[in-house]
Amino acid sequence: MRRFGLRGFGLRDRVMLAYGLLALGLSVVLALVTWGVVSHYLIQQRTDSAIVETTDNAAALHYGLSRVHPAVGKLLDSLPSTDRAASLVYFENQWYAAVGSPADLPPQLVANARAGGESDQQLQVAGQHVLAVGVPLSRPGDAYFEWHPLDGLDGTLRTLRITLLFAVLVTLLLGLAVGRLASTLALRPLAELTYAASAVARGRLDARLQAEDDRDLGGLATSFNQTAAALEQRVAADARFAGDVSHELRTPLMTMLNSMQLIQNHRGELPEVVREPVELLGDDLERFRRLVVDLLEISRDDGGDRGSRELVMIAELVQAAADATAGRSVTTVAADAAGLVLQADKRRLERVIANLVENAEDHAGGCKGVFVEAGGLGVTIHVDDAGPGVPLADRARIFERFGRGSDAAPTRGTGLGLAIVARHVQWHHGTIVVTDNPDGGARFTVDLPANLRGQPPGCMVAPSDSEGVTMRLRG
Amino acid sequence: MPADPPSKTGKVAHNLLLVDDEPRIRRVLRLALEDEGYQVLEAANGVDALAAFRREPPDVVLLDLMLPDRDGFTVCREIRRASAVPVIMVTARTDSHDVVAGLEAGADDYVTKPLVAKELSARIRALLRRVEPATTPQSQRFVLGDLQIDLSAIEVRRDGVPLPLTRTEFKLLAELAGVEGRICSREHLLNKVWGYGYFGDSRIVDVHIRRLRVKVERDPANPQHVVTARGLGYRLAG
Repeated sequence: MRRFGLRGFGLRDRVMLAYGLLALGLSVVLALVTWGVVSHYLIQQRTDSAIVETTDNAAALHYGLSRVHPAVGKLLDSLPSTDRAASLVYFENQWYAAVGSPADLPPQLVANARAGGESDQQLQVAGQHVLAVGVPLSRPGDAYFEWHPLDGLDGTLRTLRITLLFAVLVTLLLGLAVGRLASTLALRPLAELTYAASAVARGRLDARLQAEDDRDLGGLATSFNQTAAALEQRVAADARFAGDVSHELRTPLMTMLNSMQLIQNHRGELPEVVREPVELLGDDLERFRRLVVDLLEISRDDGGDRGSRELVMIAELVQAAADATAGRSVTTVAADAAGLVLQADKRRLERVIANLVENAEDHAGGCKGVFVEAGGLGVTIHVDDAGPGVPLADRARIFERFGRGSDAAPTRGTGLGLAIVARHVQWHHGTIVVTDNPDGGARFTVDLPANLRGQPPGCMVAPSDSEGVTMRLRG
Repeated sequence: MPADPPSKTGKVAHNLLLVDDEPRIRRVLRLALEDEGYQVLEAANGVDALAAFRREPPDVVLLDLMLPDRDGFTVCREIRRASAVPVIMVTARTDSHDVVAGLEAGADDYVTKPLVAKELSARIRALLRRVEPATTPQSQRFVLGDLQIDLSAIEVRRDGVPLPLTRTEFKLLAELAGVEGRICSREHLLNKVWGYGYFGDSRIVDVHIRRLRVKVERDPANPQHVVTARGLGYRLAG
């Protein structure tokens, strides 16, 4: 599917751009109208006053010219001096000029005035912007001309232009800013939705939206909340079911386990023929017990159990759990992690470490080492094994319930060990990833935050997804 | 030092009172515990349990918290009012509130279902183990402010009056006294008093420390003798 044009921008950018363009368009139109009206008005005014002045001067000249042999040059000089740059008279087929040259006058204007019409025209004379005005004199064919410099007007108009341009720019920026603000405000619920949805996706099924009473967003919020609630209920019901089944299994399991223990205590008294079946029965009973215990462990977490948190010396804890599980010394503690204390649930962390080491021992050629070091979040724990590594396709699946790797042989594991690890790490707001160890085998890396910040599990936390596999809940 | 061995070796067997409403559980635990060398008395409910307890005081009580007539907490408190006998409660879940509530009611330890007799036997042995101070016998008596602790007599007196400590509470106090004012981590106490490894439930220690304070401190909310070393453990102070 191809995406076009503005889709490359975010929604907020697009709203902002739209506001900006709208503001730009409006302000340009307004500026153009203003410009047209004001400049037209100013020029008109200037033209009117120039015509009035020229007409007055022409009237004054008329009186002088009506005498016999008038001194035209003197008459021109005697006219009241204003800001006009030139005054010329065409009298009895001859040009007289106080200032300026008739050659600069447009022929059309001259012809018009001599024909008895009043006319004006803007023109450039010697690089100066002027308004030339011609008025006819009483004798046909005679006319009086003046030109008035328009530099003052040009300055005013230039100022107006700059002001308008500036106004357009300011309006554009304001439009963009308002667009940004409006879109941010309008999209805030969307950000909340994204946050809540990703929280749900990360397994925090109690995440809800607050906007249910909002007239515009209420529908969305309500249906999101209903969906999340339904999902939460279903997950809880599934978990309860597993938990209830396991609970019910405990009494018969206890009967069987204790009876089996009794039988095994008296193994020597058994007839030869039943010893092997009893042994088989004992082994499978033990597997069964582990399965029930693991199911109870996982259903306990699904039930929203809060557990207990305390300050623990993390390196000491990891070492105790890992070495006891492996039955030998496998733990290396980096100097920066030796005294590290963090808030944790001791029992859960023990399960995390024990299950990882057990997984390495039982399914991956043995545990090559457990490393504790100070990490980005607080502490980082690596568990390395000597197995073939975990294929990319399996890296998420192995953390699911009964989600054994695709080529795993059936073993004494329950299929819940790594799922419990994932749940417990998540309970601590930590992350777990599985990667390839450069020296061969797989490396499970657990990152735990130094501080749970007093948040009970199940409440929303800032997204902390790192690359690799993050834990998921299946409904 | 090894714990009191069971009767297989010819010594007098310890009496257990097994309180559980599930007949099959009672039956199989009795069989297995008898095989471990204990004498087992059974009770199916709280009333029977208290009656049996008064008739023939056992060495250890094994108490399921879910009882049909009255809850196990009440039974535990009643027993505790009458005696300092070790009580092990049986709970469904490790981290439910039941555990702390049961310990507050006076239980010395707890086990989780499904449990096997061997595990139970280890817990019982740990509770019945004699007080073994960590130090050499040169100091069998301690004086701690207004408290006089006598390890050989298993007795604590305040101003000459004996304090009614349970066996576990006394062991806890003796263990703290044995290190002469140094800090004991909860893991250390769990190991020495209850016989747990590193991953024992430290809430057991915390609740017992609270109960101990109620008995030995004049103001339990503001302890002068059993002092918390935050994040590290506990220590005794004069």
